[in-house]
Amino acid sequence: MAGLTRSSLPPPRKALLRCITDAKGKEVLDRGLVLWFPAPHSFTGEDSVEFHIHGGTAVITAVLQALGSVPGMRPAEAGEFTRRAFQAGKLGLTEVEGLGDLIHAETEAQRRQALRQMSGDLGRLYQNWSHKLKRCLAHVEAFIDFSEDELIEDGVLNQVDTSVCHLQAEMERHLKDERKGERLRSGVQVVIAGATNAGKSSLLNTLCQRPAAIVSPMAGTTRDIVETALDIGGFPVLLSDTAGLRDSPDVVEREGVRRARERVEQADLTLVVVDCAHLLTDAQQAVDVLQTHLMCVLSSQEQPETDRCLLVLNKSDLLPECERQKLDREMRRVSGLPPVCLISCHTNDGLQDFLTVLHSSVKTLCGDPLSGAPTLTQARHRAHLQQCVAALAQYKRHRDTDLALAAEGVRLALTSLGRITGRVAAEEILDIIFKDFCIGK
Amino acid sequence: MAASMKSCSLVNTFRGCEQSASHMLTKKRPLPWSVLSLLSRRAAHLARQQYDVIVVGGGHAGTEAAAAAARVGAETLLVTQKIQTIGALSCNPSLGGVGKGQLVKEVDALDGLCGRAGDWAGIHFTILNRKKGPAVWGPRAQLDRQRYREFIQSELLSTPRLTVLEGSVEELLVTEPNPEEPGHHRVTGIRLANRSQPITASSVVLTTGTFLSGALFMGQTMSPGGRFGDAPSSAGLSHTLRERLGLRTGRLRTGTPPRIVKDSVDLCQAELHLPDTHPTPFSFLNKHTRCKPEEQLPCHLTTTTPGVERVVKESLHLNCHIQQDTKGPRYCPSIESRVLRFPGRSHQVWLEPEGLTSDLLYPQGLSMTMPPDMQLRLIREIPALRRAEIHTPGYGVQYDFVCPTQLSPALQVKNTQGLFLAGQINGTTGYEEAAAQGLWAGVNAAHWALSLPPVALSRTESYIGVLIDDLVCRGVTEPYRMFTSRAEFRTSLRPDNADLRLTLKGSEEVGCVSSLRYREAVRVRDSLQDALAALHALTLSTNKWRNKLPGLQMSENKNTLVTAGELLQYNHVSFEMLASVFPESLSPYAEFSQRLKIEAVYKPYCDMQKKEIERIQREENMSLPQDLDYFSLPVSLSQEVREILDRVRPSTLGSATRLQGITPAAVVNLLRYVHATNAGLKGRTHTNQPERKEERDEERCARNASLPQ
Repeated sequence: MAGLTRSSLPPPRKALLRCITDAKGKEVLDRGLVLWFPAPHSFTGEDSVEFHIHGGTAVITAVLQALGSVPGMRPAEAGEFTRRAFQAGKLGLTEVEGLGDLIHAETEAQRRQALRQMSGDLGRLYQNWSHKLKRCLAHVEAFIDFSEDELIEDGVLNQVDTSVCHLQAEMERHLKDERKGERLRSGVQVVIAGATNAGKSSLLNTLCQRPAAIVSPMAGTTRDIVETALDIGGFPVLLSDTAGLRDSPDVVEREGVRRARERVEQADLTLVVVDCAHLLTDAQQAVDVLQTHLMCVLSSQEQPETDRCLLVLNKSDLLPECERQKLDREMRRVSGLPPVCLISCHTNDGLQDFLTVLHSSVKTLCGDPLSGAPTLTQARHRAHLQQCVAALAQYKRHRDTDLALAAEGVRLALTSLGRITGRVAAEEILDIIFKDFCIGK
Repeated sequence: MAASMKSCSLVNTFRGCEQSASHMLTKKRPLPWSVLSLLSRRAAHLARQQYDVIVVGGGHAGTEAAAAAARVGAETLLVTQKIQTIGALSCNPSLGGVGKGQLVKEVDALDGLCGRAGDWAGIHFTILNRKKGPAVWGPRAQLDRQRYREFIQSELLSTPRLTVLEGSVEELLVTEPNPEEPGHHRVTGIRLANRSQPITASSVVLTTGTFLSGALFMGQTMSPGGRFGDAPSSAGLSHTLRERLGLRTGRLRTGTPPRIVKDSVDLCQAELHLPDTHPTPFSFLNKHTRCKPEEQLPCHLTTTTPGVERVVKESLHLNCHIQQDTKGPRYCPSIESRVLRFPGRSHQVWLEPEGLTSDLLYPQGLSMTMPPDMQLRLIREIPALRRAEIHTPGYGVQYDFVCPTQLSPALQVKNTQGLFLAGQINGTTGYEEAAAQGLWAGVNAAHWALSLPPVALSRTESYIGVLIDDLVCRGVTEPYRMFTSRAEFRTSLRPDNADLRLTLKGSEEVGCVSSLRYREAVRVRDSLQDALAALHALTLSTNKWRNKLPGLQMSENKNTLVTAGELLQYNHVSFEMLASVFPESLSPYAEFSQRLKIEAVYKPYCDMQKKEIERIQREENMSLPQDLDYFSLPVSLSQEVREILDRVRPSTLGSATRLQGITPAAVVNLLRYVHATNAGLKGRTHTNQPERKEERDEERCARNASLPQ
């Protein structure tokens, strides 16, 4: 608690207003009431602290993550508080009447929710990991329990090494990718990029409904990054306008372009703005032009992710009506491109459609906060996955010196993952052992 | 000897009876055979009509049970068909191994027999898994059959309060179920085949091994029995268990390989495997084994050929045993099932010595049940055995076991007070598994008879606990064998620390440990604590450590302070190295150097497990009454949960949480029930199974009234 509030513990059972920060004490997450209940005068009879924080998903997620990063801290299991209170003799019979039902309802909901989540791609991914880990563990266990008496094929452990490495890398990537909670906390990084004079700053001004950036018909007006915070359909968005991308002899502009590329690299979502006048009316050529343009803008990203960008064709007001409609129709037909929106920052034509597309993209990036619990579970998932990755590191650390401790690492990893996908019993491991090996003794 | 037995039996409490000499391996010599048989007959004459505990069976479970019951302080009778076969190794001539070695260490820590017997009889000692970490080290020894038997027999016959009687049990005596307590029987004793008078006892431990409706198979012939050369046990016992007590039974099968004449084997064709140059004793009390390092015998390894597979397939129609669908073990299968399950592969065959002077070899991995002529054909397909002669053919056994979910964690039959089961009768396989159960059943049988509360071992503190918890909670579908992977807390339950885990508890709570062993365990514990404290008090900067221990690889900054305890966690740092730097403070603990090294390396991981262990132990301290009617329990439980609970009848909340299909909510509701029940029975000291306690008081009164004291 002291670590998360940048100050000493408050007096017992006294509510104090404190800043709640991340575990490193750097970033303030919220201001709220904190309480300390030293044992045995608490609900469970153990040392407890309470954080009273604001109800927003972003705040809750951030605080949960901060708590999760404190060593030894983990989310409570269903009914665990009550169980502990019971074990400490804190709860009498009457006080507990009905609590079981309450928890039952709670776990039922959690079960249903878990099932819902588990049926998707994510569920399949976790199940797949769990399955691979089970095999790894079974093979290590087979090696421990049987290799002295039996022919266990050479290289069983080498296979496990490879699998563990792969799994660890995959999980780390997954953890890095799934930054939805963090996005909710700090806002989705949306970057406007494109060639000079495409109307990027106009788009920024249109979106924030004020002249935040200077606009002029001159190419290269914007030199530095212009940032503004927006609320897109309830999601926090940090919108950045960047310098138009072109080779310039001007030192200041070159720096601006460098910054623009850097920002694109870090972006959660890039809005690639194109002057639609540059597009020829031949649909195929238009696609080619757009693709080249995209590659040019996104080239700074390690792996150009076209699914993390929107194409904004600006200045539709400058096209004749029939051309505009034709382009609009064709752009809806083509495949292989990110979503395309034809708009005019000048007349606000097409802006509503664009906002809808933008909203859905941002929503995908943040996850759906409307059902409050999934973010909570995701914080739980994240904690378990982090434990899982750490446990796999234990396997690697002890692989050559103490196989029992290495196996313990895989077992811990499986237990952590099992808290997401369901438990794994020792018997299952033995089943795999006997299926995969010819064990005689 | 007879005189000393008599005088010992006059001593009332075990704790007061010093057994110091009998525990020391080097000071003890087995009795000559003639004296043994004389003694046993005398014992038969001495047999009384009434005992605290009767143990039926003289195998690994029975001998440990009888010795443990007597150690706890109960007047104990061991009944066996042949005194001569007490302590016989019916199958492989070896003890211990991966997982099994842990059980031997734990039985020894509780002052059981098999560890010391192994040290006495061992002729080839190895620590398996030596390179895989101390938590999974598997101490193992090849044994001299005769020496093992001698040790066990002389140990039993010199145990105070223990009488050994030769006889065949005709009937198990139980009371009619008490109408007030539906289904509750009570055991009252046994009736022997050649005696009209029953022998009464408060507790009976059945360790009948493969003899319960046992049938021997070889080729197409089948004969009743549990072991070749022994009479089948009476049908009466089976009848009582199944018909009168209504116990559910299942059928399992196992087998043993042919014994091969050593001189007929060409050992040059097999791979030589030498024992450890320094034999490590099983027992915490022994510093060395009886067998000198250089006297040890080697083992040999060879493999099967395609010809073996051919003979198996050709003889299938002549092989009754293998055609039966009875469940056999996956991990000690006959050569027939190995070949059929994994065709086209070669399988390992270990050629193990049977004893220092034995003319036989034991071919581990060649258990078979085909007709003897085919057995000979089969073994001769193996190059090293091309001219081998069979001394005794292999055979299969099928036998009944009692589904162990009908037992409490004390290994007592839930519906019959005072009846305990241990060993293969519970569906396990292996000497070590049997010994572990036997010891624990014996301890609890004595506790029951002496009106002491039942004792339980948790799976968080011992492999014995894992074994019993698995049996009584999950039951068995095939012969159960111990593996290290069955123990969730393997890093804490190591062979090296079994004494710390169990000896103190065994003395203070269970009462089955001699004062000599207890004092030794206390000394070890205190020394280890002192040594660890000393290690953590010695602090130097990284730089200074490097100066004192050249070649030390440390990544830390040169001014970081590191304790000797932390340094010991490094792979290449040994206690001896540290002791050379600080001879004054560390050299007194040199005898514990290996244990200290292990403690240092494992401490962080054990600390991590400690919380989880504590949680489980708290839950295990909350017991659920055995006669609970889950269907009418006035708490909120789903029908599905009620059915599971009714079927398994977990004895503690802890085991309930481990059942599949039990929700957290159900656990909370059960907790509420336990809480209420325990509150209602305030003031009773033994909260473990409160109802039973009450019942037992009345029952004891009744019993005492009916018997002349």
